[in-house]
Amino acid sequence: MRLYVTAAIVSLLGLADALYLTVEHVTGQSVRCTIVAGCSEVLSSQYAVVAGVPLALIGAAAYFGVFSLATLAAFGYRIAGTLLVPLVLLMFLVSLWLIYLQAFVIHAFCQFCLFSAAVTTALTVIVLIALLSRRKTTRN
Amino acid sequence: MKRTLPIIIILVVLGVAVVSVLYYTRSTPGSNYTPTNSATASTAPANTAQPPVVTGVAGADPPYTLGPANAPARLEEFGDYQCPPCGLFHPILQQMHKEFGDKLQITFREFPLAPAHQHAIAAASAAEAAGLQGKFWQMHDLLYEHQNDWKDKFDVRPIFEGYAQQIGLDVDRYKRDVAGEAVAQRIFLDKKRGESLGVKGTPTVFLNGREVPFESLPAEKLRPILQNTINSGGR
Repeated sequence: MRLYVTAAIVSLLGLADALYLTVEHVTGQSVRCTIVAGCSEVLSSQYAVVAGVPLALIGAAAYFGVFSLATLAAFGYRIAGTLLVPLVLLMFLVSLWLIYLQAFVIHAFCQFCLFSAAVTTALTVIVLIALLSRRKTTRN
Repeated sequence: MKRTLPIIIILVVLGVAVVSVLYYTRSTPGSNYTPTNSATASTAPANTAQPPVVTGVAGADPPYTLGPANAPARLEEFGDYQCPPCGLFHPILQQMHKEFGDKLQITFREFPLAPAHQHAIAAASAAEAAGLQGKFWQMHDLLYEHQNDWKDKFDVRPIFEGYAQQIGLDVDRYKRDVAGEAVAQRIFLDKKRGESLGVKGTPTVFLNGREVPFESLPAEKLRPILQNTINSGGR
């Protein structure tokens, strides 16, 4: 249970990050170059939009999905805990792909995207531990 | 209660997320920019919809400008040659210069975003060194037009020296100037000016001392803003 509560809280960090990037994308601020890092290169690249939808918005939807499922799982909905696993694994794989794009294709890193990858990695670890501990308890 | 509580929590988070996105997308500073216009200026001097007029500290003197100093629309751009959006803005400004002629003065200020852009200072130095031989704008144009040819290269010096040759500079003098004190000083002063005006990113554009929001920089949005400023005599 506690693990799912943690996952829900961590996913809120990812949700806030993705919503921030969505606002930046929609208002056009993200494409200005800033002193901080290569966000403009990353967020103005062709990879920042999927079929006309900002990738940040898709990310926000995914984090909201994780939050919803983790909250339900924390309240004892077993199916929600099971559904969390493929969702976070998919998000983890997408994060790996996005880091690859930043490192080898765009040649610029955006700290907000890296933060999102870190959050997804943490979520993956938490959800997998929760899954393992749940199996243990079921066996016992 | 236990069954509905998670649903309530989820709906609250969804509500907060949606409301905050809507709030921030609508209240972005400058998104409600209204071009200067004499009627509103005289009847509503404290029009809060417009960004304030800012002066800041002086930049490099003399600045590089296109168009007359008494033009009703005086636009000042803070740019970084390695910044992709600045590269996209370059042809828009050239077009505006063509369209508005003597009614528009364009000033370019160096605002290299190092270390985010590893060649930004080298590029700014190249333009400023060309400026010492009276060919700032020629180098400026080449740097922007060929941004994609050099921005990912390891060593840009030979490329910029090639540009120096192409525009007919004394290349030996250029090589000395590009690493010289005068060039570094000009870049430093322009950057100081930008910082005093609150510039944090590039391109940042001021029109008669008021910041033009980034989303108003596409040609179809910038054109009416410039036209209104010119129509109102620059107020």
